[in-house]
Amino acid sequence: MDWNILFFVVFPYLSLAACVSVTIYRAVYRPFTISSLSSQLLERKKLFWGNISFHWGINLVLLGHLGALLLPKGLTLWNGEPLRLYLLEATGLALGIWATAGMVILLYRRLTEARVKVVTTPMDLIVLGLLLLSGVTGLLTATVYRFGSYWFTGVFTPYLLGLLTLQPNTALVAPLPWIIKLHVINFFVMLAVFPFSRLVHIVAFPLEYLTRPWQVVIANRQADRLSANQPSANPIHKP
Amino acid sequence: MINPFYEPIAEVIRMRFLRQLSLALLLAGILLTASALIVSASDVTQAASTGEQIFKSKCTACHTIGGGKLVGPDLKDVPQRRSAQWLTDFITDPQKMISAGDPDAAQLLKDFNGVMMPTLGLSTAEVEAVLSYLQNPAASAGAGAPVVMGDPQRGEKLFRGAISLANGGAACNACHTVAGVGFLGGGALGPDLTKVLTRYGGAAGMAAALSTLPFPTMQGIFAARPLSPAEQADLLAFFAQADASGQTSFPLTIWLLLAVGIAGASGLFGLMYRYWPKQSESLSEKLRRTETV
Repeated sequence: MDWNILFFVVFPYLSLAACVSVTIYRAVYRPFTISSLSSQLLERKKLFWGNISFHWGINLVLLGHLGALLLPKGLTLWNGEPLRLYLLEATGLALGIWATAGMVILLYRRLTEARVKVVTTPMDLIVLGLLLLSGVTGLLTATVYRFGSYWFTGVFTPYLLGLLTLQPNTALVAPLPWIIKLHVINFFVMLAVFPFSRLVHIVAFPLEYLTRPWQVVIANRQADRLSANQPSANPIHKP
Repeated sequence: MINPFYEPIAEVIRMRFLRQLSLALLLAGILLTASALIVSASDVTQAASTGEQIFKSKCTACHTIGGGKLVGPDLKDVPQRRSAQWLTDFITDPQKMISAGDPDAAQLLKDFNGVMMPTLGLSTAEVEAVLSYLQNPAASAGAGAPVVMGDPQRGEKLFRGAISLANGGAACNACHTVAGVGFLGGGALGPDLTKVLTRYGGAAGMAAALSTLPFPTMQGIFAARPLSPAEQADLLAFFAQADASGQTSFPLTIWLLLAVGIAGASGLFGLMYRYWPKQSESLSEKLRRTETV
């Protein structure tokens, strides 16, 4: 059997099926596990530098991939002028490095902070490891095999649309360098891992936050139970 | 499974997802069936092509039979010059022969300006079919078609993608560099094409390569989206112009690219430091800090 068919046809379908069905199973039978356990109370400084750069970076880069898939014509017209191509590539590369740096900070934090280590599950480390592999192979693809924002529309747009319309074509991906293939296979691995890990929190994106009324959250600590010499956490409650 | 306390809320969520669950199971079923069908279909041998068909579609870009050298050698009487085993090995995987240090393969690479024959991905049966065709070929197959030169300006626009390719292929600049197109050059997934005309032994060889683009990575894209004859002519004129211009490509290294990316990422971290709202220090943090002072 052809390995390319296994990795670029069978595996994507299996992982997508697992991703969709198990996520819905989990949402129905374990509804309160559709989230990711916050460790912000345990450590905040490293979390700030890792979390924000990772989340904003990865989401903007993913949006770029999605744009290349859904609007290939617009992207190729943009890239027809080399200066615009360079601007897009430099922006993508900066966002990719920002996100990958965030992953490194988060992984370092998970491995070194004693308080965070206590609540870290093996799956948390697997997820961070897969993300880091995705970031590194993505950066290598963007630099060694440039210009991905341009050839994506010729290679991966037809490949992915073929997959989604049940007409897969491995001839497009089979001859590519192994780093690019690893980047793609790693994505399908993440798709399969998705419903079994903290990644499920993606489907709980709080869209209703945009429309719901304000909630005012007030910490109501009892200042008198604290040492008299220390300033209160909420000076506003002091007479 | 769920704490009874949360049961009413869980019930609401359960109802909301019930429709999606049945839909998802249906989808998963379709996907699994489809992938099973595809895999079983792929095991069936594809419609056998004759050696002649394979030769005309995959070999004539670079080889003639009795028509003289093109990008690669004239294959007239090649079964007499080389052993059947050598030919089978070479056609199956030329790169492997070179890296294994085969002296004949190395000599060929030297004689043909270092242009390596692409690994065409032919099956054993297909290689046999081509070999049997070479034993007894039709007279002067692949005698080079007349070379047509088009408009180099239009060729440049096609190359960088300012004009889209008629059949929907990706623009050349995505993967290839030609000196003079963009100050940092083009892509690096494929080779630099500034001097491609010289490497391919002149316009005839390059015209033949443009007509079929017999390189595996390009075949995936261009087999179903070939270049139109007008596009081939314009691109050929553009490559001829670039070859003659004597320009060299900008040496864009991955370190320079990474430096640009790291500068951008540092800027983003700087913006975070300056503008991102930070939470005020917690009480425990404040206590710990004042204790050490």
